[in-house]
Amino acid sequence: MSSVPAKMRAFLIRLSGSVRGRRGANEFDEELEAHIAMHTEAGIAAGLDEEEARRQALVKLGGAEQVRQAQRERTGLVWLENLAQDLRYGARTLVRAPGFALTAIATVGLGIGACTAIFSMVNAVLIRSLPYGDADRLVYLFTPNPLLKIPAEVLCPGYGDYLDIRQQNHSFESMSNLVQTRFSLDERGMIQRIGSARVDEDFFRTIQAQPELGRAIGAMDVQAGRDKVAVISHALWVSMFGGRANVLDKSLTLDHARYQIVGVMPAGFEYPLGTDLPYGDSQTKSTQIWVPLVLSAAKREEHEPDDNVTIARLRPGVSVRAAQAEMSQMMAALDVKYPGDPKTELGPMRAHWGALVKKFTDISVGPVRPLMRLLLAAVGLVLLIACGNSANLLLARAAERARELGVRTALGAGRGRMARQLLTESLLIGAAGCVVGVVLAYLFLRLLPRLDPGNIPRLNETSLDWRVLLVAAGAALFTSVVAGLLPAWRSSRVELTEFLKAQGARAGSRGHSGTQSALIVAQTAMVVVLLAGAGLLIRSYIKVVTVDAGFSQSTVAFNVSLDDGYKEPEQQVAFFKHVAESLNALPGVIAAGAVNKLPLSNSESITMMFVEGSHSNKEFQQAEARYVTPKYFEAMGIPLLAGRYLTEEDYSRRSQVAIINKRLADIYFPNRNPIGARISTDREADGWKDFNTVVGVVGDVRHVSLEEEAEPQMYYGNYQMNGAYVAVRSRLPGSILTSEIRATLKGIDPQLAITDIRTMGDWVSLASARRRFQTSLLAAFAGIALVLGLVGLYGLMAFSVNRRTREVGIRMALGAKRRDVLMLVLRNAGVLIGTGLIAGLACAWVTTRVMRSFLFGVSEHDPMTVSAVSLLMIVCGIVAALVPARRAASIEPMRALRME
Amino acid sequence: MGDKTDVWQGTLALMILKTLETMGPQHGYGLARRIEQTSGDLLQLNYGTLYPALLKLEQEGYVRSQWGTSDNNRKAKFYELTKAGQKQVRRATADWEQTTEILSRFLTPAEEA
Repeated sequence: MSSVPAKMRAFLIRLSGSVRGRRGANEFDEELEAHIAMHTEAGIAAGLDEEEARRQALVKLGGAEQVRQAQRERTGLVWLENLAQDLRYGARTLVRAPGFALTAIATVGLGIGACTAIFSMVNAVLIRSLPYGDADRLVYLFTPNPLLKIPAEVLCPGYGDYLDIRQQNHSFESMSNLVQTRFSLDERGMIQRIGSARVDEDFFRTIQAQPELGRAIGAMDVQAGRDKVAVISHALWVSMFGGRANVLDKSLTLDHARYQIVGVMPAGFEYPLGTDLPYGDSQTKSTQIWVPLVLSAAKREEHEPDDNVTIARLRPGVSVRAAQAEMSQMMAALDVKYPGDPKTELGPMRAHWGALVKKFTDISVGPVRPLMRLLLAAVGLVLLIACGNSANLLLARAAERARELGVRTALGAGRGRMARQLLTESLLIGAAGCVVGVVLAYLFLRLLPRLDPGNIPRLNETSLDWRVLLVAAGAALFTSVVAGLLPAWRSSRVELTEFLKAQGARAGSRGHSGTQSALIVAQTAMVVVLLAGAGLLIRSYIKVVTVDAGFSQSTVAFNVSLDDGYKEPEQQVAFFKHVAESLNALPGVIAAGAVNKLPLSNSESITMMFVEGSHSNKEFQQAEARYVTPKYFEAMGIPLLAGRYLTEEDYSRRSQVAIINKRLADIYFPNRNPIGARISTDREADGWKDFNTVVGVVGDVRHVSLEEEAEPQMYYGNYQMNGAYVAVRSRLPGSILTSEIRATLKGIDPQLAITDIRTMGDWVSLASARRRFQTSLLAAFAGIALVLGLVGLYGLMAFSVNRRTREVGIRMALGAKRRDVLMLVLRNAGVLIGTGLIAGLACAWVTTRVMRSFLFGVSEHDPMTVSAVSLLMIVCGIVAALVPARRAASIEPMRALRME
Repeated sequence: MGDKTDVWQGTLALMILKTLETMGPQHGYGLARRIEQTSGDLLQLNYGTLYPALLKLEQEGYVRSQWGTSDNNRKAKFYELTKAGQKQVRRATADWEQTTEILSRFLTPAEEA
C-alpha cells in the first residue's frame, strides 16, 4: 500500500527512534490520558457514574499498557534494540572478565592475523591479475633435446625454426621473441646496469600491453639502422625524467649508443621479471628498457637455438595440450627439413629437437604454488587452533556462568535469546580479534621485505587490499561462529531442573566436560602436525646451509661486463690481466682471479666432451666448463687435490691444459691417475680434436644449487672474456676491500659499472633464501600454534582446578598428600597431551608426505624430528599444567571445605 | 498472523486517512468514534489499535500531528493530512476500489446463480 520512499522514511525514523531511546513515551502517556478522559466524559454525559465510565473507556481502548507496548514497538526497531542490548550486555560481561576477554581476543587475533598475512601474500603472488592481457593464454615455446642433459625449459627454437612455426601454426594468435640483455645506462656520468630486453615487432601485441605514453616497438624499428629507439618503464620515466611529458623528445645513452625514447610503459609492467623466465638472466630482477630485436639475414636462416625466449598467445579456445601436439609435430618436421651440419657442436643433435609448450603462469608462479598452499594449510590449522581455544574459553565461561544462565532461564529468558547472547559475545571477541589480526598482518607486511627471498614473483606487491580485508572479516566471522556455536548450543540446553539440583555437587569428576577435553586433544594434535612440519623444514634447512659448497664463504666477488669499447679479443685479455694484476697487488689481498660463470649465480655453461682412454665414455656426455684466470682457485679457496693449479705460464704459452674436479676424476678415472690424461671438448663429428691435458684435480663445487651434487667440472685458463666475475680473497675487512676494489676498477676504466659485489657467503645465503623464507614462516606458525595450544591447556587445567577446589579439599582432609594432588592434575593434563600427541603424530605421518618436495636430506618420517616434537610437546604441556597443578596442591583443606 | 494484521492495518490506515480528509484535523478519540459511526457500528474497533496506526502514518509522512484544544477545552493531540497523505488517499482509494470491483465480479454471479 505505502510507497517505497514512505517505507524508507518510516524505517529511518524508527531507526533513529531506536537510537535516541524513549523521548516520545511521556508525550504518548499524555495523549492516552487525554483520550481516556474524553471517553470518560462522554460516558458520564451518557449517564454512567464516573468509575464505570472510566472502566468502559479502558475496555474499549484495549488496555492502556497493551497500547503503550504496541506504540513502543512501532516507535523503534525491536530487533535492533535487542541486538544493541545483547551487544551492550556482551561488552559489559567481557569488560568485567578482562583476563578472559584479552586471552580470547589475543588468541583469535593471532589466528586471524596469521591467516590475513599469508592470504595477502597469496593474493599478490597467485590471485591478483597480471598486467599482461589475459595471462592465462600466454605460453612459452621451448625446444628440449633429450641428448642435452639440461632442463627442458632452457632453450627456445632457433630463429629459422621460429619463423617457419610463426608462419604455419594454427595454435597461436601471435608469437614473439625476446632476448634479455643488460645495458650500461649513462645518467649524467653515472653508469648503471639496467635489466633490458630486445624484443621483436610482435612483442607488445603478444603480451597485450600498450604504452601509457608514445608508441610500442613496431615493424619499422626492427631493421638495422632504424633500431636505435627505446621504450622505457614507468619507474625509469619517473626516476630519470621526473615523469615529465616531454620524455618522448629525449634519448638514452645505452652502451655508448644513443637511443630515442618512443614510449613509456604503464606502472607495473616490467616484463620479464626475474621470475617470469625459467632460466633468464639471473641478475635481472625486472626489465626497464625495451629496444628492437634486429635479426640479420644469417640469423633468420639459423636453425640452432640461440639465446632467445619465445612467448606466444594461444588462440581463444586452443588448449595447451592441442598447441603442444601441433608444436611436437612441427618440430619433428623441421628436424627432418633442416638436417644439421654434423661438424658443428649441436649439429648431430638436429634430429632430436622437440617442442614443449608451457603456460606462462606455470613458469612464473608454478614453482611457488606448492609453497603457497603449504603456508595456507599451516595458517588454516593455526586458525582452527585459535577457534578451539576461543571455544574452550567460552565453554569455561559458560560453565562458570551456569548459575547466571540458569537464573535467567528461570526468570523466563528464551533459549534462543540465551544462545544469541553467547553468540554475540563470541562475535564481539571475533570483531576485536579481527582488528588485532589486521594490525598483526600489517606488521607482518612491514617485515616481509626483510624476509623476501627475491625469487617469489610479485611478493613485493603484497598489500592489504579489499580482498585481504574481506578474508580477515571472513576468518573473524568463521572463528566467532565456530567458537560460539558450541557453547551457545550447550548452554541453551541447560535444564532448569538439572541446574537447580546441581547447586550442591557442581561438576563431574574431572571438573570439565568431555567436549572441553576433546577440543584440547584436537588442538594438541594440530599443534603436533605443525611442529612436525616445521621440524622437518628446520632439519632440511640446517642440512642445506651446512652443505660444503666447495668454496670459501669469505671470498668477495663482483661482476664486470665489458662494453662495446672491448670488441677485440686482445682488449679483453688486456683488461682482465690488468684487473687481476692490480687486485693481486693490493695490500692485504691473498689472491684474485676471474671466472666467466660464478657458482650459484644461476648461469651455467655446459660442454660435450670426450676423455681419451677412459672406459666410462658415453655418447653426448657433458661437463660444466669454465674459463678462469690463474689465481681463481686460490681466491675461491677451492682445494687442490692432485697435480697443480694453473700458472701464468700456461696462459702465455697458450698451453692446452685443463683442471678437472673430483667428480669428473672419479667417474672417468676410477683407478688411474688423471694427471696427464687428455680431454677434448671439440667434436669434429666425433673425430675429437684439440685435446687438453689434465694438470690438476680440484675439489667439487656446487655450481647450480646447494641442494644438488656437483656435476663433472672442467676449468680452462683464459683471460679472454667479455664479462666475468672476479673473486678476491683478502685479509681486509669487507667494507675496506669493497671500496679498494671500486677504486681499482675506476682507475682501470671509469666507464664500466661493477655490480653484484658481495661475499660468497652472501651467494650461499641467496641460494638458500627461499628455504629460509619457508622455514622461518612455518616455524613461526608452529610456534604460534604451540603457544595457543598451551594457553588452551593451561586455561582448561586452571579452570578444572578451580572447580575442584572443594573436592581437593575433601581428598586432602581424608589424607591425600600435596604430591598426590599435584600428580592428579598433571596426570589429567598428561592424558590429554598424550592422546593429542599420538593423534597428532598419526596425522603427521600421513600429512608430511605432501611436504616431500620441500625436504632436503631428511625423510618425511624423520625419527629425530618425531622425537624432538614429542619431547617438546610433553615438556611444554607439563610446564603449562604445572602452574594450576601447584595451585591445586596449595589448597588449604579447611578453607576449601568452608567455601560455598 | 502477519497477513491478517497487514490487511487490517491496511484498511484501518485507509479509514483513518479518508476520515481525516472529510473531517479535517481530528484527535485520536474523535477519529475512533467517527470511524465506528461511519462503519454503522459494524466494526468492533479497539480504540487502542488506532494509535500505532497513526504513528505509522506519521512516520511515513502521510499525517502530521500537533497539540491543540478540543471542543470541551481539553488539551489533545490533533492529526491532519499532509500533501503526501492526500495523494495517498487518492491512490489507496483507487487501489481499494479496483480490488473490491474484481472481487465482486467473482462473488456476484455466484450469488445470482
